[in-house]
Amino acid sequence: MSAVLKATGLVKNYRRGRAVDGVDLVVGDGERIGLLGPNGAGKTTTLLMCLGMVTPDAGTVEILGRRLPRRRASAMSEVGFAAGYLPLPNAVRVNEYLRMFGRLYGLRRPDVATREGLERFGIGHLEKAMGTELSSGQKTLVGIIKATLHRPRLLVLDEPTASLDPDVALRVRTGLAELSAANGTALLVTSHNMAEVERLCERVTFLSRGRVVAHGTPEEISRTFDRDGLEEVFLHLAELQHKNSEEVPA
Amino acid sequence: MTRETYSPVAASAWRILSVAKRHWYVMRRSPHRLFDVVMWPAVDVILFGTIGLFAASRANTASAQVALYLLVGVVLWHVVYQAQIALATGMLEETWSRSVLNLMVTPMREWEYVAGVALFSLVKLTAALGGVALVAWSLYAFSVTSLGLGLLPVAALLLITGWSIALFVTGLVLRFGQGAEALAWGILFMVMPLSGVFYPVDSLPGILRPIGEALPTTHAFAAGRAMAFGEATPWGELGIAAAGTAGLLLVGLGYVTWMLRVFRARGFVTRYS
Repeated sequence: MSAVLKATGLVKNYRRGRAVDGVDLVVGDGERIGLLGPNGAGKTTTLLMCLGMVTPDAGTVEILGRRLPRRRASAMSEVGFAAGYLPLPNAVRVNEYLRMFGRLYGLRRPDVATREGLERFGIGHLEKAMGTELSSGQKTLVGIIKATLHRPRLLVLDEPTASLDPDVALRVRTGLAELSAANGTALLVTSHNMAEVERLCERVTFLSRGRVVAHGTPEEISRTFDRDGLEEVFLHLAELQHKNSEEVPA
Repeated sequence: MTRETYSPVAASAWRILSVAKRHWYVMRRSPHRLFDVVMWPAVDVILFGTIGLFAASRANTASAQVALYLLVGVVLWHVVYQAQIALATGMLEETWSRSVLNLMVTPMREWEYVAGVALFSLVKLTAALGGVALVAWSLYAFSVTSLGLGLLPVAALLLITGWSIALFVTGLVLRFGQGAEALAWGILFMVMPLSGVFYPVDSLPGILRPIGEALPTTHAFAAGRAMAFGEATPWGELGIAAAGTAGLLLVGLGYVTWMLRVFRARGFVTRYS
């Protein structure tokens, strides 16, 4: 399986300390990877480095063989990004917003991609709604549609279902799984919802205090930590991080 | 299965147009933003046009040209002001709407974004100058067309000066966050009194005169006034203004590029997400 994303030895220091400490991350073509860890584990910084938004102090990032930051623009044409916390601009309608991003991705027919995306996630009726008229769940869906307009090879999602009702979260998961199956899109997802990650992702990378502490299928990770499911692994790691312990299993 | 895309050159052009269109939506649906474009220019024309008429009515024949002097100053001032404010607030719009991260994770290059906002700033500039011309003509019988085509290079230099200062402001916002946004409106007012917009720089206090002389805007305004008063094209002033403007543009580009690097190195993007 060829690598869509290959991050090697990522290190990032902020004034408050080291946020990411030698992270390696490989996402294969069509693979669905969960990036998990307690708050402050370095998940978002790692994602932002993988997207070229934050420059690593050490290490390299390649997307489909294109090294960042030099080939960022070309690499980003193969990547989509959505985050549950990013709002929609107030002064545009949903279809205007999506068309604009379609154009930013260089699409010849952004209207077609917009309609397909809205239908896939069941919000075709919101095509002409203003950003201010949408619920937070609907905004999240529009954000995900925005990120998938160009059928990216890699879709990066930061907390995609945060603050969503279970039914909307289910629609998101179903839509993402369909998209991944239909287009071979690889997923890199961060989430605090462990059940969701277990359902959506084939493999999981756990971060704690900026380091990779476990990597494998959800079952393998549960076995490594001798815990019953990812939720318990998460709680265990959060407690260790909280205690500032050095004894993190490799 | 990928979607049909444009060639790299066409895709780049569409990206620029899309950014301009996005800002058009914002202005169309936020009428209060028209204040900068319509109201300020009209207020300035009325203020300085009336001061000029008043001064002329109290003075001798030579001073009767004060109104023309001030009106030319207002017209040219709004070229630089509107160019600067439109580009700087375009970038600020992305910080207010927390769109920075969304835009930066697309294939759009930074220069394409700046070109898109600059393109829309030309629309705003045209609207503002149209307003200035209309008020000056209807209230003071002053036709902007009487300034002649010779004024176009002066306007072009002032346009580039406005954009250069906007790039500098954008760099400050990238580095210092929204705390620096007051400069978007304020920075040009530091330049204005030193540039001889409404008076020759000879009138400045001696200590400030060298600063005024060093600004490219001073020479652009002087050249514009000379042509408005029917004098021969002042190539010397235009040359100094062009060289200074080119230098300013390089400084603006260099600064914003540097600040973008700092922005990425320090992870400042999380301020807007």
